[in-house]
Amino acid sequence: MKIEGEQGKSKKYGMVIDLDKCTGCGACMVACMAENNVPFKQDESDKRLSITWMRVYQLTNGKAFPDADICYLPRPCQHCEGMHEGHSPCVSVCPATATDYDAQTGIVSQIYTRCFGCRYCMAACPYHARHFNWWDPVWPEGMEKYLNPDVSVRMRGIVEKCGFCFSRYQKAMEKAHYEGRRELEELEYQTACTQACPAGAIVFGDLNNPQHRVHQLAQPDPRRRGRPGNPKAFRLLEELQTYPKVYYLSSREWVHKAGHKAELIKEAGAHH
Amino acid sequence: MKIDRRCFLSLGVGAAAGTVLSPLPWKITDDLSIWSQMWPWTPWPAQGENTFTNSVSTLCTDGCGITVRKVGGRAVKIEGMAGYPGNEGGICNLCAAGLQLHYGPTRVREPMMRVGSRGEGQWRTVSWEQALGEVSRQLAGARKAGTPEAVGAIVDQPYGSVPALFRRFLTAFGSPNFMYTPTMADAYAAVLRLTHGTDSLVGFDLEHADYILSFGSGIIDGWGSPVRMFRAHSQWKTDGATVKQVEPRLSNTAAQSSQWIPVNPGSEGALALGLAHIIIKESLYDYDFVNNYASGFEQFRDLVLAQFSPGNVSRLTGVDQSTIVSVAREFARAHRPLAICGRGQGRTTGELGYFLAVHALNALMGTINRPGGVWALPVPDYIQWPEPPLDDVARGGMAKERLDGAGSAFPVARSLPHRLAAAIREQKPYGLQVLMVSGANPLYTLPGQTDLQQTLGQVPFIVSFATHMDETAAYADLVLPAPSHLERYEDVASTAGYPRPLIGLARPVVPREGDTRHPGDVLIQLAAALGGSLQEAFPWPDYDTCLQETLADRWEAMLADGYWANDRFQPDNWDAAFATASGRFEFFPDAVKDGALFQPLEPEGDAAQFPLVLIPYDTARISNGPVASPPFLIKTVADYVLKGKEMFVEINPESADALGLREGSAARLTTPRGSATVRVHLSHGIMPGLVGAPRGLGHTAYDDYLAGKGVNVNALVGAISDPASGLDAAWGIRASLAKA
Amino acid sequence: MSTADDASKHAPGTGAADDRADGAGGAIIFAFVIGLAASLIVGWVVFPKLLYSQKRQPIDFNHALHLGLEDQNCESCHFFREDGSFSGAPALAQCIGCHAEVQGDSPDEIRFVEEYVQKGREVPWLIYSRQPQCVYFSHVAHVRAGGMDCVSCHGHIGESERLPVYEENRISGYSRNLWGHNIAGFKKDSWDRMKMDDCAECHAREGVTQASVQTTKEGCFVCHK
Repeated sequence: MKIEGEQGKSKKYGMVIDLDKCTGCGACMVACMAENNVPFKQDESDKRLSITWMRVYQLTNGKAFPDADICYLPRPCQHCEGMHEGHSPCVSVCPATATDYDAQTGIVSQIYTRCFGCRYCMAACPYHARHFNWWDPVWPEGMEKYLNPDVSVRMRGIVEKCGFCFSRYQKAMEKAHYEGRRELEELEYQTACTQACPAGAIVFGDLNNPQHRVHQLAQPDPRRRGRPGNPKAFRLLEELQTYPKVYYLSSREWVHKAGHKAELIKEAGAHH
Repeated sequence: MKIDRRCFLSLGVGAAAGTVLSPLPWKITDDLSIWSQMWPWTPWPAQGENTFTNSVSTLCTDGCGITVRKVGGRAVKIEGMAGYPGNEGGICNLCAAGLQLHYGPTRVREPMMRVGSRGEGQWRTVSWEQALGEVSRQLAGARKAGTPEAVGAIVDQPYGSVPALFRRFLTAFGSPNFMYTPTMADAYAAVLRLTHGTDSLVGFDLEHADYILSFGSGIIDGWGSPVRMFRAHSQWKTDGATVKQVEPRLSNTAAQSSQWIPVNPGSEGALALGLAHIIIKESLYDYDFVNNYASGFEQFRDLVLAQFSPGNVSRLTGVDQSTIVSVAREFARAHRPLAICGRGQGRTTGELGYFLAVHALNALMGTINRPGGVWALPVPDYIQWPEPPLDDVARGGMAKERLDGAGSAFPVARSLPHRLAAAIREQKPYGLQVLMVSGANPLYTLPGQTDLQQTLGQVPFIVSFATHMDETAAYADLVLPAPSHLERYEDVASTAGYPRPLIGLARPVVPREGDTRHPGDVLIQLAAALGGSLQEAFPWPDYDTCLQETLADRWEAMLADGYWANDRFQPDNWDAAFATASGRFEFFPDAVKDGALFQPLEPEGDAAQFPLVLIPYDTARISNGPVASPPFLIKTVADYVLKGKEMFVEINPESADALGLREGSAARLTTPRGSATVRVHLSHGIMPGLVGAPRGLGHTAYDDYLAGKGVNVNALVGAISDPASGLDAAWGIRASLAKA
Repeated sequence: MSTADDASKHAPGTGAADDRADGAGGAIIFAFVIGLAASLIVGWVVFPKLLYSQKRQPIDFNHALHLGLEDQNCESCHFFREDGSFSGAPALAQCIGCHAEVQGDSPDEIRFVEEYVQKGREVPWLIYSRQPQCVYFSHVAHVRAGGMDCVSCHGHIGESERLPVYEENRISGYSRNLWGHNIAGFKKDSWDRMKMDDCAECHAREGVTQASVQTTKEGCFVCHK
């Protein structure tokens, strides 16, 4: 007997972000913070200490005026598949089973109450997608009223990250079960950033499903560990063989190069 | 039997064995570990029924259609409303973070009377009766003295029922001094008044254009209705439209455009005329429009051919002659070209010549009122109230000249609040006794802040209708708490370029926090307290009734859909569009005179003393209007814009080298208007000789998440009244930067 | 040990030493038994009493009575909303239909109407099965998709005429029902305990996909949020 919140075929939820359309406005970051009860402090300008599940980096082409160019790159958790399915960098090192790879959805989960804060996963993640709670989150008086009950509020001493708004998957499945369905429609489960993006630059869906836009845009090649078939598409730091499920589209050659260069991302992480 | 040490040990061993065999250690271990998973002070948000309410968020420039997700009555998330015209489900970051403002600690929850000196932050709470009693006493005093014109009001927007109630209140009271914060919509309105002869709002049919020439407009930096612009931009990318961005700094818009054309600041209008020169010289313009529907073309042609040759324009703008020629040809040959202007987010009004020049480009190509072009829309006319009755005092007051000179010294202008400071200081034509402020935050948003703070100190009584303790409320004598944007009805007339008449309806989504009153209700109550013709002018029992009656048969539809839009709207055909003396489009209105207003406006300050030029820039990540950035927005600000409490200014590495400045150097930024300590961020994306500073930082009011961070650029720049329109024409100011 | 050695030194070769040793041995065993018994009593009897504080529900609700009056069984009051979410303990609005006026003469009924219905206050029910914040539980997945009945997890509460005392764990703050009434955690019936292992055990038995790469059990996000 098959029961519980599972769909028939296993999914590989992923994202395609069109960097030609991204305006760098930051609405995805705000929507993410609002959806996921992300805490904030009085000073968030030390970006190493700033918890941003979704962060929009600015990349520059390094050329002098007037040939300078900028590109914005939104970075959620990349939900890496890893060298063997599910052996993403963070999952492989977590000693607490606090982070895990779900083969049914392809989502890298993070269970806050399980985490004891060793931060191995942060060291392992090449994308700076994980954040540590150095302080207990504090909401100014009254603001705790807007907290979302579907996402656990975190506390000091644990690591948190983007989970592709998994609570929205849970909610969508509840509705499906109520209606006697087991499969979700493409638009029934969308992340908060995808929904909010005013430019429509973020597309979310099942990379295994040829009907889904993410599949059509990225054209993942299953024989090459999901490498994009679309020449406009690339994944961040492909050479590290982390096999992320977040794809980027850009018509600019230098942006593709930047996406492959570990140094440039490191720099972006340190400075931005 | 003797009890000895061995017995004790044995007892201990037995106890230990028993303890191990009891559930105690295992259960305590389990409970402790569960307890340690969440501290008692970690908030545990309550579950409940999920409901969704549609409304319009009034926080951003043009109002985002929003869907508020509530759980058991609490608002937990604001999302874009599917199907809202223009936005279509998208949302801007300010409106998305609206709950932080709504539930935030800087809300004003009860009427507050100033106790200490102005702006000191010493208050005592008073009852509404006391508060309204104080306002009516102040107002009655001005009428008794026969100087009702000494009462003024500043609101944010010109349209909508709340501004209309303020205007009506002042009119019936006897004061012409109704002011609002002008934007690029006012500059465009002045242009349409001069060239079309009509009172119109500007609209842009952007979605159907295929070659967009933007003279400094931050298409994806918050210009116009931000979400609609983002969507149009994405549409252009999909369709392969061309976007050329003319501006001195590599904004996000410039970076995403097909071509960034760096141009000397202030010379954007000259470049437009340089393109017009080529288009006219090469006869690439729309003959039908120019020959049959326009007048003054010959004068315009002669001026452009004589003064704006590629050589001259290249000198003025710093743009290559070849670029001028090629862009002019591409533009003219495009299927649906469209030129737009209004720098950055369009919150500044700019030089009339610049707007006229860009509009002339559209006229040359015949894009006016055409698909993919620039449209003249009727001004919102749904507020049809009978003229308020005026008594003798009111008639006397209304006969007086306005303090800001709009309508008198500057006939095309409607509101010029930047001129208020000088009028107050010089008491010319008369002094200001009472200032009411609602929805606006002039003590943050107006240029020349230092000056303004001092002069507003001379106004005996300032009353602020405030949702949050902003800079103006903090400086007021009396603060009247207003419900937040999620707690009240309000009509939002779209004025930021949407090409169809559109009115959104904000509605109460959650119960009111604190003892607030709608500004509309307060005006009705004040009118009743003052009595006489004023009371007659406000026949409504309360604001909600007033709004419902005003919207009449639109009300039900707006309640159901959240908005009213005229989807079938089409702009007038060319033969009916123009109401100038000639009945044609006026290429060369009288205001142009000798064409001096087409020359780039020199920034304020002495070039020898201030060798650099400061240009404020807009970014979508920081709110720079009357609504301040909530914590989520400040969190998204990059650390090369704000670090701790210090703000970065952008300069070109070449300029930095000359000044001995490096990345992150502390520097003193000085302008003729003020001085501030900043840090330096080197960027190849800004022309040498310029200093770029972000708008929206440097708040002094609000909480520690915002206050004291960075510098308010409005304290460093001053206003320059445009000689023709009177609107603030300043685009920057001369500055110096020295190592600190 | 040293005590025995000392005794031998002082009285070498006497039979008394054996007696003493026997006597000491008995005392030692006696002490051991005392210690063992006392700690077992503390652990099994006293500790549970100390660990849990007893709380009364604000109103003593009669499930049996209501179940007899309604035709949709449990779902009459504990229903699913159209979005698939579960309504949980009924809100006042659901009760008002019948309880706008006092029904009968039970003191709880009178208090319910006077204190809550007439004042429009929600009843602060204590939820026996409330899970920690990190737990995600979908009723609809179990009841509709899995075809489970309410009794499997909640027991026969529906047949009760009085609400049981709510016992709150003084350390963790959660209801005793999660650990189960048996302090050792033994369970007889499926509803005796609601810990993670109980969920996992049933999920494994019922064939929920074991999709976790780390644990080869089911994915963490199945039950966590």
